[in-house]
Amino acid sequence: MISNRDLPQWSRRNFMKVAFGSGAVVLLGQFGVFQLASAQQGEENSLTMILVDYSKCTGCRTCETVCSAFNHPKEVNGELLNGTGNPYLSNIKVYSFNPDVDVPTVCAMCPDNPCIKACPVDPDPSTGRRALYRDNKTMAITVDPDRCIGCQSCAEACRLGVIVPHPETALPERMCTLCDGEPQCVKYCPFEALSHVKVDITKEFYGMKPGQIAEKLIKDWYGVSD
Amino acid sequence: MTERIYGYNGIILDVDLSSGKIEKKAISPFDLKNFVGGRGLGIKLLWDHLKDKPGADPLGQDNPLMFMSGLFSGFPAPSSSRTCVVTKSPHTSPKESPYAHASTLSYSNMGGFFGPELRFAGYDGLVITGKAADPVYLFIDDDKVEIRDARKFWGTGTDQFDKDFIEELGDPRFRTCYIGPAGENLVEYASIINTAARAAGRGGTGCVMGSKNLKAVAVRGTGQPRVGNHRLFLDSLEEARQRFKNEQVYGIWRTSGTAFGLELFSGLGMMAVKNFREGTFSEVDKIGVQPSMKNWIRSFSCYCCPLACKKSGKTTDSPFAGLVHDGPEYETGTMLGANLMISDLAGILKAVYISDDYGLDIISLGNVIGFLMEAYEKKLIDKKFLDNIDLNWGSVDATLEMIHRIATRQGIGDLASRGVRALAEEIGQDSHKFAMHVKGHELAAHNCHANPPRAMCYATSNRGACHLNGTSIEEQNSMALTDSIGVCSFAMGGYGNDGGLIAKLMTGITGAASKSDLSQIGERIYNLEKLFNYREGFTRADDVIPERFFEEPLTVGAKKGAVLTRDQFKNMMDEFYTKRGWDLKTSEPEAAKLKNLNLPF
Repeated sequence: MISNRDLPQWSRRNFMKVAFGSGAVVLLGQFGVFQLASAQQGEENSLTMILVDYSKCTGCRTCETVCSAFNHPKEVNGELLNGTGNPYLSNIKVYSFNPDVDVPTVCAMCPDNPCIKACPVDPDPSTGRRALYRDNKTMAITVDPDRCIGCQSCAEACRLGVIVPHPETALPERMCTLCDGEPQCVKYCPFEALSHVKVDITKEFYGMKPGQIAEKLIKDWYGVSD
Repeated sequence: MTERIYGYNGIILDVDLSSGKIEKKAISPFDLKNFVGGRGLGIKLLWDHLKDKPGADPLGQDNPLMFMSGLFSGFPAPSSSRTCVVTKSPHTSPKESPYAHASTLSYSNMGGFFGPELRFAGYDGLVITGKAADPVYLFIDDDKVEIRDARKFWGTGTDQFDKDFIEELGDPRFRTCYIGPAGENLVEYASIINTAARAAGRGGTGCVMGSKNLKAVAVRGTGQPRVGNHRLFLDSLEEARQRFKNEQVYGIWRTSGTAFGLELFSGLGMMAVKNFREGTFSEVDKIGVQPSMKNWIRSFSCYCCPLACKKSGKTTDSPFAGLVHDGPEYETGTMLGANLMISDLAGILKAVYISDDYGLDIISLGNVIGFLMEAYEKKLIDKKFLDNIDLNWGSVDATLEMIHRIATRQGIGDLASRGVRALAEEIGQDSHKFAMHVKGHELAAHNCHANPPRAMCYATSNRGACHLNGTSIEEQNSMALTDSIGVCSFAMGGYGNDGGLIAKLMTGITGAASKSDLSQIGERIYNLEKLFNYREGFTRADDVIPERFFEEPLTVGAKKGAVLTRDQFKNMMDEFYTKRGWDLKTSEPEAAKLKNLNLPF
């Protein structure tokens, strides 16, 4: 059984990248005008994502447990059942700050696919897919374990630091699967803080790192800057 | 032969700060089956550790400081967020004992995320003995456990430390808990704080932690125990989640947290007002839910909790405008408000903030200050005794000044840091009659004159006066179990008072146990706690309540005239000992009763 207990350097790098992203917040987050232009072609209209209402989120992390349970099922007596909800395995992660704000973070379904663009594996002639590709039905970022070479370029390219290479196989993990179309986090959030919506990169917090979001919320809610 | 134990890691992380030795110790299946976890496993381990050391010094190297996860900790059952800190109390003592350092156990629950994370890291509990030569913190990252230098952090308040520590650790996904200056200074009712907002408040756990030169613990984990009956666990989990969708279950918590208690209990004449002299506060409307809501900005939750009882806010009234903190809660709003005749909400929140920042038990603290206000009003002490602080009823400034003194043990703060019993002993002049404690542990915000069972609750609690003990034997046993599975007591109504769903979840998690075992578990835990205390020298003579409740009827409010009679109290206590199977004269548990509970071993 693959052990979960070997979290490498990655976590520290991840945190620094995720929480304390460099640069000020600009309009359209990290995307800029040019990317907006290119994003409006093709896939953008069919892209959906998990949207957070930070004013409703209480930081309970139920979302982490249901994401983990659904996306890491277990075979029990020949039947495939949901896992028991280990939040370490979750794709959505809640970051907590002081003064208290809670910022759930999950794959932003970037319309310009920086992760896929970074994948060095040539597109398959029949499917057009690299080792990292979008699922046909959900458009979720998915890895082909047979073709992935474990270079971790996608993880490096991920703007939010959501992608984490498995400590042993190096396969990219933690990309939101949208739970095959019925996101569990949305279903189970006790506070209805999550919703399943079309990607809209013009939304206020789109593509922002948790530390940046927290900074803004702390200022708006508590009137203090950290 | 090793039995596969489902629902547990089966491991206690054992750290000796004197030698630096770190060990992973297996927990016996007998202990897990009989004591479950949390508070129950805590008293069993305390008993084992101090088996040959009755009267052990609570501030000495032998006293184990234990952070105990519950059976549900780390599984996503609603509100399974609690960690129970268990140790020997630095604050209580019996009337008579052969031991100089005789005291009860202390157990204190805290919310947040710590206990679950300990379980993710691969442990069911953390036991710390010894004393570090210099201030240290404990670093736990799955298998990797280190004792690290904390000298640069010693003296830091909990709010700033909370931020500094995460920077030091480099990952906000670590869960941490720590003491503030009060624990460092060995104030007898110092608390342990986490997330700058939650506390293992009562019983001096922070004092014990400070005595070990331990500033903080950090834990991060990636695993999870395995369940014994996976299908049953998932089904019961779903059933629980559905129950918590009911507005009847979460409504009051989500709207106001425990602040609803402020107006409620004042109206019922059951609030601690003016050092417990009264039960109704005429100005409660200034500190209750309505004015508090003007400050509140958001609700926030502990691990997997759909209740979200905590309310974060920002004060707007000068001179404390702009203060960001959570509250008031019923206990904090009462003990630093009504009990001191303070009706200035912003002032109360300021007092709450600095108390949390220092790491002080707000209940004992408010009780101590109320006692001093009364002694001062009655001229049993003068301003000089109080370091020139004009400690009048209703004074926020004087209260803040006193809190600073207590946390730093300066001047009068040194004596006050030892609690109301020590103060009354020093002051004399019959002040013990309004020193509101049992066994040396201060009473909380629930008053007794108009609520006789509350008196029994305080008198019989195994950690000294405790409002969470339970006002009936069934309630006491049930609370002991709740504290052992790591579920928040606020959520127990949601699980259903018949205990059936809890039993199903326990079976799903462990793969074993039936409802008939459950009622015994709480009783067993309660009796072992009592055995521990009895051995220290606590007898029926210590199960008493302050004279105030018999001699001074309430003079205001709906329950004006309410008072307890000594006969009434005696009858309640006789009934208690009889039903518990404890000796009526001495309170010693009867041998047959103990045998029935698999005690002692």
